[in-house]
Amino acid sequence: MTANLPDLMLNDRGFAFDPSNGETFQLNPTGLRIVRLLQQGKNEDEALATLMEEFEVDENTARRDLESFLGSLTQLGWLENELRNLP
Amino acid sequence: MKRTPHIAVTGLHRGENPQPGSSIIRSIRRVIPDARIVGLVYDALESGIYADDGPDAVYAMPYPTAGREAFLERIDEILLKEPFEFYIPTLDSEIELIVHLEDELIERGLFTYLPDAAILAKRAKNHLTELAKSCDVNVPETVPVYDVAEAHRAASHLGFPLMVKGQYYDAKKVESPAELSGAVTKLLSEWGAPAILQRCIQGPEFNVLGIGDGEGSTFGLCSLRKTHISDKGKGLGGITIQDSKLNDICARLIKELCWRGPFEIEVMKDDATGEYALIEINPRFPAWVDFPSQFGMNFPAMLVEMISTGMRPKPFPQCEAGHFYMRHQIEVLGHLDQLSALSSDGGFTASVTDRSTVTSRPHFDLQPTFS
Repeated sequence: MTANLPDLMLNDRGFAFDPSNGETFQLNPTGLRIVRLLQQGKNEDEALATLMEEFEVDENTARRDLESFLGSLTQLGWLENELRNLP
Repeated sequence: MKRTPHIAVTGLHRGENPQPGSSIIRSIRRVIPDARIVGLVYDALESGIYADDGPDAVYAMPYPTAGREAFLERIDEILLKEPFEFYIPTLDSEIELIVHLEDELIERGLFTYLPDAAILAKRAKNHLTELAKSCDVNVPETVPVYDVAEAHRAASHLGFPLMVKGQYYDAKKVESPAELSGAVTKLLSEWGAPAILQRCIQGPEFNVLGIGDGEGSTFGLCSLRKTHISDKGKGLGGITIQDSKLNDICARLIKELCWRGPFEIEVMKDDATGEYALIEINPRFPAWVDFPSQFGMNFPAMLVEMISTGMRPKPFPQCEAGHFYMRHQIEVLGHLDQLSALSSDGGFTASVTDRSTVTSRPHFDLQPTFS
């Protein structure tokens, strides 16, 4: 699924710690949900469907936010671009 | 019955540029509370002398530059008053001297756990490039210089900014030829030649602590990322990490050196390449050694146990990522009796100034506020 995402340490408040380099981040509830879904092995389409249902947003809004967030994860090295849509 | 270990430790200062000794003492006492600790100091104002949890006895030492005879003579004088059998040196300059004296120390019943002189020299700052290359480890371009003119010639090739380092200690980032002259002059006068010029790397710094077994392996590694750094480059905070790439680099270096004893490997991760680059290998415990002792990786206590039993310890398991520390400075109370004993008699034991006699009662009278 990803380079570092499975190892990322998360708590329920969205505090994220990358154990390979010591970086810490604060995720908002949507970001936290997306990372959890990816850690569970969901792919991008499955994550999108879950976001639309749980956050009650239309597909365009959910897709825009998800794409933007996945871009950030890729930049941080947590997500490998070419693997994004694989389970 | 097993005798309480008597352990000499140096480097007790815990001010702006903390030395490792006080951290080592705290770590040892976490496991061996009744260990008798002898502080060997080079300055009567090393703050750890006066700490509540400081050494049980303190003795002044001649500077390592005074040479081997002066060093051994002083050790003999101290041993008459205060026998000890383990010696944990913490300052690079004294380690340079002590590695040549292992036989003399053993004759006196004193045990250290250090590499030999040749291996110590292989990790010196002016030989770091060769070592790194032989281990396939990146290293920023490094040039030893012996005078200011040579420094300027090297800087014209390396460019600015660059790091200027003393051969044993101290480092300064310089941005211009004028700053370079000042820094090189100062470091040459304080630490002798060569001073070391090193190309600057932009990126986070990581430190790795361990003890080498002398056969190419370690008894465990604790890696951290420095999260807060002082303007002198000292770590004021850090968080443990776990990165197999960094572990591999350390394993290659320690294997190549067959390092024996405590070490701290300093690396930076180059923002431009994402690769680690070796900055330094310190031949001693770092000042933050008591941090991992608090979550079970007590390297100083492991060292004492190993020397006292002669048994090979089981290596620590992988260091858990996510423990963090912040450096916390406090004021310690010194007594003129202690200072005077160090200055005139060259040392004292804790009984000279019983810490329990110091009153903590406030010197003010309370008046009723509501009457």
